[in-house]
Formats: sequence, structure tokens, C-alpha cells
Amino acid sequence: MADRYSFSLTTFSPSGKLVQIEYALNAVNQGVTALGIKATNGIVLATEKKSSSPLIDPPSLSKISLITPDIGMVYAGMGPDYRVLVDKARKVSHTGYKRVYNEYPPTRILVQDVARVVQEATQSGGVRPYGVSLLIAGWDEGIEPESEEATKGLSEEKTPSKTGGIHKGGPSLYQVDPSGSYYPWKATAIGKHATSAKTFLEKRYTEGLELEDAIHIALLTLKETIEGEMNGDTIEIGIVGPPADHLLGYEGVEGAQGPRFRKLTKEQIEDYLTNL
Amino acid sequence: MTSITGHPAGGEGIGYSFSQPTAAPVKQHGFYPYTDNGGSTLGITGSDFAILAGDTRSTSGYNINSRMVPKVFKIGGDDETGEGAQIVLSVVGFAADGNALKERLDAVVKMYKYQHGKPMSVSACAQRLSTILYGKRFFPYYVHAILAGLDEEGKGALYSYDPVGSYEREQCRAAGAAASLIMPFLDNQVNFKNQYIPGSGEGHALEAKKAEPLPQTHVEQLVRDAFTSAVERHIEVGDNLQMMIITREGIKEVFHPLKKD
Amino acid sequence: MGSPFDINGGACVAMVGKDCVAIACDLRLGMQALTISNNFPKIFNYAPSTYLGLTGLATDVNTVSDLFRYKVNMYRLREERHIAPQTLANLVSSSLYEKRFGPFFVSPVIAGINQTTGKPFICGFDSIGCIDFAKDFIVSGTASEQLFGTCEGLWEPDLSPEDLFETISQALLAAVDRDALSGWGAHVYIIEKDKVTQRLLKGRED
Repeated sequence: MADRYSFSLTTFSPSGKLVQIEYALNAVNQGVTALGIKATNGIVLATEKKSSSPLIDPPSLSKISLITPDIGMVYAGMGPDYRVLVDKARKVSHTGYKRVYNEYPPTRILVQDVARVVQEATQSGGVRPYGVSLLIAGWDEGIEPESEEATKGLSEEKTPSKTGGIHKGGPSLYQVDPSGSYYPWKATAIGKHATSAKTFLEKRYTEGLELEDAIHIALLTLKETIEGEMNGDTIEIGIVGPPADHLLGYEGVEGAQGPRFRKLTKEQIEDYLTNL
Repeated sequence: MTSITGHPAGGEGIGYSFSQPTAAPVKQHGFYPYTDNGGSTLGITGSDFAILAGDTRSTSGYNINSRMVPKVFKIGGDDETGEGAQIVLSVVGFAADGNALKERLDAVVKMYKYQHGKPMSVSACAQRLSTILYGKRFFPYYVHAILAGLDEEGKGALYSYDPVGSYEREQCRAAGAAASLIMPFLDNQVNFKNQYIPGSGEGHALEAKKAEPLPQTHVEQLVRDAFTSAVERHIEVGDNLQMMIITREGIKEVFHPLKKD
Repeated sequence: MGSPFDINGGACVAMVGKDCVAIACDLRLGMQALTISNNFPKIFNYAPSTYLGLTGLATDVNTVSDLFRYKVNMYRLREERHIAPQTLANLVSSSLYEKRFGPFFVSPVIAGINQTTGKPFICGFDSIGCIDFAKDFIVSGTASEQLFGTCEGLWEPDLSPEDLFETISQALLAAVDRDALSGWGAHVYIIEKDKVTQRLLKGRED
């Protein structure tokens, strides 16, 4: 019965805008800044971990999440909405992909699936849009862009009439907005200080960046905008890097590969901060 | 289901809430006189020899009864060892029938020798075996038999039978559990089926490769290959390979190990 | 009535060679002992070096091949890449298991070369999607017993594309000649890294 009389809360204004989505973006723009930088051999996601009270136990707060072993995600905006999206992203990566193909979705496919969830919230009855923007970072197996075959495949189309060339692997970084639109980035920031952070990134970003440099730049960018103290408790970093076989929990299985996405520990973050 | 009276429906009479001792259902008694003891046999002939082979595994269902039950027998020998025999019989299917058939044929061939003062020819023995099998047309020996020896010209002779005595002289034959695995391999490697002489013509003019008698060593290798292949894919075949090689010099019996899994 | 797998007849086999794979099928379509058609190929192409062979009930061969045509087309449009043989294998497996309690009566076989790794790949399935990852060869159809015998006897490791063609062709022809429900010619595909050769074989017509 309930769904028979549930109408979309997101309706067009006479000027053609969906103001509910703009309000959602306002919520994002009040959120804590998060940023992502793509390097040649990985990606870094970073954000500030703001706690409202000194009594809070910092390690229990977590804003960067693993979605699949090779894909991670961070947000700016409303925390509870983000948690729901993390659950849905993890679920859809299995029901919509791994259970069908017995492999995890490539980053773009996962981003599209998450973006669909977000978009559906702008058009469905009885729901409001998600009040978050996401940064999704992942690594795809396949022929990496720098390798010979990939460039060959890109320049001379083998099958121009048909969709589908060689599978281009390597790192990718996407932003998903409350409207459900998504954008690929080399480096970007979302949240309160997104504009200044992006200006900073534009200055510091160079082509051919390596992961270690990217982490360094991420911390420098964060430092520009951070409001409190900068230490292992107040900063959160997730990286997509080489396979972390030590996180597998077992060894000696042929063909087994550790997750590429992992979060840096407090100690690791503090090591980077001392070298800043 | 409950009846409209509120009592459980119990056929005729009163419906009790507890179960009634009922008459035991009529038992169906069945007697199955046959068992499939698995295994496979194989025979190939050459210009001056014949080879009959079989594995030595005996099974019933998924059980292995024995790893050493020969299926290939010398027929019409002078003593228990079969010394002096010139004919070999292989039987696969129901082992008890196979043994009975072997014993009968052996006795018949021996009697023939005593009565006629000369050994029985393979062709005569082949015909006799057919009549023995047909004699039990309505309670057959549950076996696929293969008979091998040398014919009057000294060439390898091989006869294969169905359980009721239909028989045929052939170049090669596989029987038993893995017959369907081995037979097409033999068609291709012994009779060169589907093989053509390269460049001999186009389309229908293309000349088929003629089947010619193969040398003994080559045939022995084919037999071993056929069985190692069958062992790989059929669970009822394995343990040991028993080979009887019939030449003018007599019968040589050899055993080779097969996989025992 | 007999098993649905044995009504129409047919055979399919896949083999691994050195940097190449082969897949072959017969062409017969029958209704029990009556031959209906002698041009019913059972191998379908889903990517430049990914092939699927389907034996079993002919109506399910058609339905399943069309179903995967749709699924693979959707995959290619979504992902902007060709499906890898391994990925197709898992798609076939999950799709068949979806029909666990009302299965398609087919025994699929996959052969292909993975374009990312360059490695040959073959596998087979039962009708509810259990995958058989074989390193040597896969057989299916009414002549599967015969094919097991010929393949086990003729196949050897690291065959060149030319030798692999001879081996798979002889294995198939010899096998279908001993199966009344299979035969009437064959299709053979030899798949190399960036070349596929398809040949039509004449066989016994009985």
C-alpha cells in the first residue's frame, strides 16, 4: 500500500533544476575534505578524521573502506549515507558480478553500479538523494597502459566496427556525485576545501608520478586545509598499490594474490608525516 | 487427511489415532543369475601372429574383487599349464560364465584331438564355440568372447562373438567395459580408418590409406597403449595387462603392470 | 523415452596444444535413429579467440547459444572489451546453475586463448554448471566414451597447430564412426594467439 502513494521527493523546479540534488551537494560541500591522487603504480586516497570529542577512540572511526580487494572508497558529506553506500557497493560487487563471473568487477563497472544506486535515489518514490560524494580508487588486471600492446591497441584499432578491444588494466580514480554522475580523475578533492585543494593539486601534480610521491603530495594538500593537528590519529590514508600478499592470511597457494587496496596504519602515516 | 466425521480416515472400519499393525506388503523375490565383473579384452592379428589381451581386474559394482583374475585362456593344451595349445580364448562379462565356457571349449577341443588324432583348426573351433554359445540361446553365457589362433595358412586369425554365438572373423576387436573407448582407437591405428594418402587426389579421388598387417612389436605397443588409455578413463579396467602372443613357435604369455587406482 | 541428452545426438571435443587450442564438433542432427540434418554445427564464437561447443538436446543447444550471445553482447557493451575464455567459463557455470532444478540438457565445452595472458584454455561442464578444468582435452556428446578412448590414445603434450589439427580430427572422426548418433562431417577450429583456422571435414555419411 505504502508504495502506491509514494512519490519522488526529487522533482524538477520550473527552472529545470533538481533542487534536492543541489541541497545534497551542499551537504557534500560542508563535509570534511577528502582527496585522491592517481600515480603510475597506484592511487592514494586521503582524508581528515575529525572527532567531535577528545573522548572518542580514534581507531574506531573509519572513513576509507575496502569494497573489493583491489578497490577502495572514501567520501565527503554524510557519514550514515556513506555507510549505506559502502554496504550496497560491496553487495553489488558480488551479486552483480563475482557470483556471475567469479572475479571482482573492474573499477569502472563498480563505479557505474554504485552510480546507478545513487541515481535511483534521485528518481524513486519516498527516498531522498544520498548526501555524499565518493572517491573510488581501484586497480584493474589487464594490459597496463604503458606496455607495448596496450598502446598498439589504442592507436591502430583492430576491430573498429565492434565494441571491445584489449582490456586496459592499471589504476583508475573516479568521483561519484549525489546526482549519480561520475568522473574519472588524475587527482581531485571533494568536500569543504575541495576548491583550494584542487588548486593545490593542479600545481603539484605531474605526469608519471609514483605512489610514494603521490602519498607525499596528498599529505601536503591535506596540510593546507586541515583544521586540527596532523598525526596518525587525525589522518586516514588508503592506497591502491602492489599486491599485499602478507594480508592474505595464508601462503603457498599458487596463483593467490593479496589485496592491492589497503589502509595505512597509524604508524605508517606517522612515518610519512615525519618525512614531510 | 481427516474425514468429515472428525475421525481420521482409516480406510474401512474405525479410524484409530495410533498406527495399526498391517499385513506385511507382498515381497518381490528376484533372482539375478548374472553379475558384470567388468574388465576389457582386446585382440589384434598380424600376418604370422595373433595377440589376445585383457586386464586382470575383477569387479562387482564399485568393489574390486581381485587384481589378478586372468580373462585370457589357452584352449586345448596338453596339461594344466596349457602347454601345447594353439588356440586362445578371451572372455569378458560375467566371470563365472566365462570360466564355464572356457572349461567347456577346452574339453571339446581336447576331445577333438583325442578322437581325430590331430589338433582342431581355429576355424573349426570358432564354429564349435558359436554352437556352444547358441546352445544356451535362452539362458546365455553372459560373455563377449574372442577366439584367436593361426589359420591353415599360418596367418593370424581372430574371431569375435556376441553372447549367443553370432561371430565374425576380424583384424581386431575390443570387448568388455572399455570396448567403446578402445574400438575407435583401433579402427584408426590398425585399419587406418579416416586416414588418407596425402596429395593423392582431391575430394572423392583422395586415396584412403590401405590397412596392412602390422609388425608384431608395433601391435604389442598398440595393445599396451590401448590399455593404458582405457585404464585412465574407466574404473573397471586396471591392475595388470595379460597378453597372449600366438606365433608358429607357440603361445607366449606376458604380464605388464597397469595402474591400480 | 531415453535421456534428453541422447535424442538428437552429436559430439564435441576440445584439445590443448603448444600456444594453441582446438575445438571440433560433428554436424549431425537426428531424432533418435532418424537423421534430420547433416549441417547442424555445435560450435559458437563469442570473442575473437573464445569458442563454445554445445552438445545435447538440440532445442537447448539453440536456446543456450542464443542466451550466451545475448549475455556476451551485453558484457561487451558494458565493459568495452571482449570476454575472456575464463570469464565465459564462469558465466556459463553460473548461468547453468541458475537452472539447477530444471536444467538445460546440454554439455558445454569451451576452448580459447586468453588475450591478456596469451595462455590456452579449455574446460567442460555438466548440465548444471560444474566446471571441469582439464589440461589436456575435453569431450562431450553421445560419442563421449569413444572420444575419451581416441583422445587418450592420440593426444600428446605440446602439439603444434598443424599436428593438433590432425590429432583432433582423427580423434573425432574415429570416435563418431563408432557412434550411430554422431557423424556426417565435422567442423574443426584451430585457435592461435591471433589467428583462427576453421576447416570443414568430410566424414562417413551413415
